[in-house]
Amino acid sequence: MAFLPRRRFVLQLAGLLPLPFLARRLHASAVADLDPRLLRALASAVLPGALGASGMERTAAGFERWLAGYREGVELVHGYGTGELRRTGPSPALRWANQLRELDAAAQRAHGASFERVTVAQRQGLVRSALEGQRLAGMPAIDRASHLSLGLLAFFYTSAEATDLCYEARIGDSTCRPLAQSERRPLPLAERS
Amino acid sequence: MAPRVIESDVCIIGSGISAAMVAEKLAEERTATIVVVEAGDESDRLNQRPALRRRFLDYGETPWRKDHLDGYEVAGIQSRSMQVGGLAMHWGGVTPRFSPEDFKVRSLYGVGNDWPLSYEELDPWYQEAEVRLGVAGEQGPQELDPRGRPFPLAPIPLSYNLLRLREWTAQAGISMWSQPSAKNSVPYRGRPACCRNDTCTPVCPIGAKYSPDFTWEALRKAGRVQLLPRTVVRRLVRESSGERVSRAVAVARDGGAELEFRAKTFVVACGYAWSSHLLLLSGLANRSGLVGKYLTGHRNVSGYVSLPLRLYPGMNGQHSLVSKQFMRVPRGERYLRHDLRVWESSVGKEPRLTDAQGKVLLGDELLADWRRRTATGTARVRAYYDVIPDRESALSLDGSKRTPWGDPLPQLAFRDAPESAELRAWSEEQIRALFARMAKAGGGEVISARSDSFQDHPAGGCRMGDDPATSVTDSWGRSHDHENLFVVGAPTCVSGGCANGTLTFCALSLRSAAEIGRSL
Repeated sequence: MAFLPRRRFVLQLAGLLPLPFLARRLHASAVADLDPRLLRALASAVLPGALGASGMERTAAGFERWLAGYREGVELVHGYGTGELRRTGPSPALRWANQLRELDAAAQRAHGASFERVTVAQRQGLVRSALEGQRLAGMPAIDRASHLSLGLLAFFYTSAEATDLCYEARIGDSTCRPLAQSERRPLPLAERS
Repeated sequence: MAPRVIESDVCIIGSGISAAMVAEKLAEERTATIVVVEAGDESDRLNQRPALRRRFLDYGETPWRKDHLDGYEVAGIQSRSMQVGGLAMHWGGVTPRFSPEDFKVRSLYGVGNDWPLSYEELDPWYQEAEVRLGVAGEQGPQELDPRGRPFPLAPIPLSYNLLRLREWTAQAGISMWSQPSAKNSVPYRGRPACCRNDTCTPVCPIGAKYSPDFTWEALRKAGRVQLLPRTVVRRLVRESSGERVSRAVAVARDGGAELEFRAKTFVVACGYAWSSHLLLLSGLANRSGLVGKYLTGHRNVSGYVSLPLRLYPGMNGQHSLVSKQFMRVPRGERYLRHDLRVWESSVGKEPRLTDAQGKVLLGDELLADWRRRTATGTARVRAYYDVIPDRESALSLDGSKRTPWGDPLPQLAFRDAPESAELRAWSEEQIRALFARMAKAGGGEVISARSDSFQDHPAGGCRMGDDPATSVTDSWGRSHDHENLFVVGAPTCVSGGCANGTLTFCALSLRSAAEIGRSL
């Protein structure tokens, strides 16, 4: 039997495996490939400073968990007034891991240092360059964000924590809260109920 | 293979909210044996819902994993829900009554058709439905919102946002109050009080909102019903002599022998689409030719109003104010009746990625931009207006599409009666003008307004009436053609009113259950 070239062999082997299995493996591998230090450097560039170091870390870790938990092809909640069914799309993990590496490479080219070593302003400049030419308006759906930085922003800005930070009040959107307390103005962020 | 035969006094087809009302009332008041046949799967249990809700919040995944049948893609249907508990597994729990005027629009205004029963006749059944569901509500002005007894539960409190918005609507001369809801304002029937998780639609993670699975769980635990999921009734069959229905022929989705349900009384409780579908497949109850006809609902105009108010979106976003101030047509004016609702909203105030000049916002700039824009608030406003159904607003059998068992699937086409079609543009213009007046009264402006193309809260298809020539059932839901065949809930509605229909479906079903009980 003639030896198959390695790439062709791998592709043929892959052809024998069920597609969802391959997609899950590819997704897991891409999630593992997302450099946690670079991700945190990105978080500190795009998220508001009011979050503080612990808030940045909490958000970055939450984003990693979100990405790890993503599943392709799962039925989405039904739209209102329609019988149409929709499903989650392809995992963004591989694309985002590549974009993070590209940010690091761009930092090396522009500033001679890793993305995590350059200043916040320089990181923001690199993110803006990466987003150049994109038509941006509101927050995208997290999984459909065209760039990792936008996915991270969408993840944070759709959270109850972001809403509280914006309104500087303890609203606690979508969390279990006593019904009776709803009648009064939410307490300022600094105060406890 | 010989069919497997299951006998009972009452065979209920479908397990949605109307079926649950009928079964619960019969089980409490009669000794009859009750079999319930459901085409869909079991719904996920309450203890699974917090995790499923989390997946919904994080990823948008449906929290109802097996809520429809593959191969049942139907033109014109508004939800694919088919499971134990039916569509009310993911309803919003909003439970207004219809208004007295809804039942007599022909007598009062010369349009559409009167129902064969009045609001006053239905009032005790509304009360019973409110008790069974656990409706929390606030009494509106008695002349607009008459009721024989108080709500069983204190109202869901108005949030800080809704209190501010009620002050605003009062400035516009509109009296509003807390929308009645089948959500526990206090612990009720073993279920906890609402704690504002804000995901009533699609799923309440704690069971504070009523859903029919609670009723089924209790009835099954008590051994009062036998409920067979994953079982598709394909035909109802008449006795060879006479007009009584003798059996329901079904298939189990898991295979095996055909099933045959024999009962003294059959209750079709499959909602606005599948009830008519089953009767058409069976060739029953259709002497009038009206099975599947007069599908009904109502259309809405929705809008967003920017107001100079500091609001805090997220306090209880699915709860609203309601008014019935526009349910009556002023003397001499064209026909327009609608409700009015107001919610908190964040529309127009969401965080954004670029500023007005197109600059990408990152870090502190983005938060600062969001804070600036949320210094004032937004209200969501909506009015459901009455649409008179046309005879040809209809469900029919679609010869081109079949179920996995070879039966034609239905197709649905909603159509306004000519008088409603003629008034549509004007009606929507009037409602938009109302939104504009409201905005002006509060010193704000309408951000946007639009009308849904579909008719919401669908019903009809087996409408009730006194005349067998112009209706499918009598006011009890009994088929004019077959004395032991009942159709209950949504399909029997003559019109869709100007408010969510579920409480009315439940009230009608309970009234039917009383008659079914008497006939056993």
